[in-house]
Amino acid sequence: MNPEATSLEEATTVEAEGQKDKAAIVEAESQEAGGAQAPSDKAQKLQELLATKLNRQVVGSLVGCIHCGMCHEACHYVLTHPDDPKMTPSYKADQLRKIFKANHDWTGRVFPWWVGANTPVTDEDLERLKDIAFGTCTNCRRCTYNCPMGVDTATLNRLMRGLLTSVGVMPEGVRVVSKDQWEIGNQMGVLKEDYVDTLEWMSEDLVAEVEDESATIPIDKTNCEIMYTINPREAKYDPRTIAKAAKIFWAADESWTMPSEGWDQTNFGLFSGDDQLGGTAGKRVYEKVQELNAKRLVISECGHGFRSTRCEAPNWSQTDVPFPMESSIFTMLNYIKEGRIVVDPNVCKERVTYHDSCNLARSCGIVEEPRELLRMTATDFVEMIPNRAENYCCTGGGGAMSMSEYTPRRLVSAKVKADQITATGATIVVTSCHNCVDGLADLIKHYKLDCRVAQLVDLVADALVLEECAVSKKKAALKPEAVRVLEGRRILVVDDEEDARTFLGTVLADAGATIIEATGGDEALELAKKENPDLITLDISMPGKDGVEVFRELRGSPDTAGMAICVVTGHPEFREVIYAASMDKPDGYMHKPVSPDDLVDGLRRILDLKEKKH
Amino acid sequence: MHGEASSALYTAEVVHWITLCVMGIVYTLRVLWLLRFKAGKDRSPAGGEGRTSAKKGAYYSLANAAMPWSMESTRRGWFFYLTFAVFHLGITCGIALAFISTLYRPFVEQPAVAWTFGTFTALAFLIGIGRMIRRLAVPVMRLISTPDDYFSLLMLTVWFLIGTVTQAHIAGASQFPQEGWVIAYLYLTSFFLLYVPFSKISHYLYYPFTRWYIGKALGHRGSYPVLRG
Repeated sequence: MNPEATSLEEATTVEAEGQKDKAAIVEAESQEAGGAQAPSDKAQKLQELLATKLNRQVVGSLVGCIHCGMCHEACHYVLTHPDDPKMTPSYKADQLRKIFKANHDWTGRVFPWWVGANTPVTDEDLERLKDIAFGTCTNCRRCTYNCPMGVDTATLNRLMRGLLTSVGVMPEGVRVVSKDQWEIGNQMGVLKEDYVDTLEWMSEDLVAEVEDESATIPIDKTNCEIMYTINPREAKYDPRTIAKAAKIFWAADESWTMPSEGWDQTNFGLFSGDDQLGGTAGKRVYEKVQELNAKRLVISECGHGFRSTRCEAPNWSQTDVPFPMESSIFTMLNYIKEGRIVVDPNVCKERVTYHDSCNLARSCGIVEEPRELLRMTATDFVEMIPNRAENYCCTGGGGAMSMSEYTPRRLVSAKVKADQITATGATIVVTSCHNCVDGLADLIKHYKLDCRVAQLVDLVADALVLEECAVSKKKAALKPEAVRVLEGRRILVVDDEEDARTFLGTVLADAGATIIEATGGDEALELAKKENPDLITLDISMPGKDGVEVFRELRGSPDTAGMAICVVTGHPEFREVIYAASMDKPDGYMHKPVSPDDLVDGLRRILDLKEKKH
Repeated sequence: MHGEASSALYTAEVVHWITLCVMGIVYTLRVLWLLRFKAGKDRSPAGGEGRTSAKKGAYYSLANAAMPWSMESTRRGWFFYLTFAVFHLGITCGIALAFISTLYRPFVEQPAVAWTFGTFTALAFLIGIGRMIRRLAVPVMRLISTPDDYFSLLMLTVWFLIGTVTQAHIAGASQFPQEGWVIAYLYLTSFFLLYVPFSKISHYLYYPFTRWYIGKALGHRGSYPVLRG
């Protein structure tokens, strides 16, 4: 067995005939070996494990292939490696089919050579299978959609990956990432402290940007409407997307939280074929939602994360998830439709195109919603051809970005996508998947394309018209309530400084009060008796009769003794003079400068207390 | 069965019907074998925002063979699809010829029927040759083909040829007075019936299963019917 048989160099340089001969030799060698050698422990274990993975759907796909070749041109590896017949999807699926036939099919067990039944014998055989399953397929499911028999080749390839992973045969990158997800709880090994630090950092930035202390990222808050999960890539490499999502939640006045643990929505179990890892990773998220008692789970823009968490992990973990799960695409779109956020499409005037993530389009049916959102946030949107469920893979899917040994082949296969993007003339390629972001960015750099990658969250956050969003409306709605709190009240503002009178008078008038102004002590005493106000704001330092004297006279006269008086002064040293005097104390005291909210709030409280006393 | 059949023809007809029964039994066992594997249950919530459903996806998927526009591979390879359709109609005609000729030969002696059956089996024969050349000449087809793939195609192609000649004979176009062609055709059909359950030709038995399940799964998730621009 030649483990190098599928290397990129051979795949791209050897002529078809040569490839065919080599493949035939490999097959012959393998069959010969199969007849003469006992399988290695790993090879034996792999065959035993296959029996535990078979269900009716899988068996149907294993026996249903008629080798018609219709899947051939559906694959981006085939299109970019025209001289390598081994790139064809049915050949890749046949690797599992051969093992199945040899172990489980009547004809295969009696006449294995007749139907191509075969089993891996050596560890080198397993390495060859690893290169095929991990290195020549991104599980994008495009071939599945082009099979007249309905054979799900992508599922078979994932099954093969899972069998290999179970016996410890996998690319190093897959091993490392899986280990991190098992042991640390997220696939990029982000420590809890670093993650929380990042959230706090993003929180501070957002508060500074929108100048609102309430625009923080709530961590582990209970009883929220939404628990928001992310791809670890966001925390580790691109936290701006977290801040942008937070900005959108804040603008929509959403009740939301991010968990300090169980926040990784991604799932390397989907890529490695390890159902146990898949189930465990999914359950971590589900359990956190229930622990925090959130009403629903919102999954950030991540194709495989969404597919794993919403569609696959319930099966891998045998869990009936009791709360709704949605992609943030829907959340953002609904905010706009419900009027909770308002966006201006004119903010983005560049030409944009949309790349459908394989997992979202082909495995989860999400194709129109991102387009709807895109049309609301950009003025020049053009479709990539083909698109939606027929779109080509970004070539970074299926965990390909973590398998550096296959990078040269991946980049060759990316030519299809590069041509698709170039044909649109777009300068921004929007996608709703973090894997796609990385895959596309890599191919844009490799093929020197004049464009960049963005996500819908970027476009939506940038296009927000904050003053028309729910959070602003809420604030505006609160203001009239503040105005009304002094409605019907008559307030005598006593201050010798015109600026101070204007400020106090305006704020209190805005709060609904009727204002009477006095510029000095005598006028104040006269107006107090004449107008009988509900409350007097009294400055202390005034020429002539100062505030202390006015206060004493007001308290000393039976007509005005019970009046609510709030001292508002820029001279705190006078406070003692009043408070030391042997008479009733003022009902309130404020130090200039005083904020409008504190002033209105303070006076309202004084009036309320006074009313209660009486 | 035909009342004036020679003993050789009579024997061929009996064998033919026996092999049909054997095929039926083996197919039943095949289906039972497949049903022995538990169908995976999908616990995920329904997707597709109400646009589709598991059932809708499954029905759509089952109709796939009759909807060449639904797949890029058949839209681009429309000629291939056409040959697929004619090839399978040829099989239908060939099987009908074998069975009807033993039950009520006058039907297949009618010119319209004879021309229809004969034309389709003849075209299928030509397509069979074309497919054999493709399987032998195209590297990827050679790589994925097993001896069973070649043999099944070869057997069908020969069966179409014999079927065409037999139909011509039955219709009176052949100069050979003997029943030889019919007998040969019936024995070949008998072999065909015996071999099919063990070969790739039994794919039509699996088609309803594979298409139903993939359609159901993707319909449940909102991806089927296929969403394309």
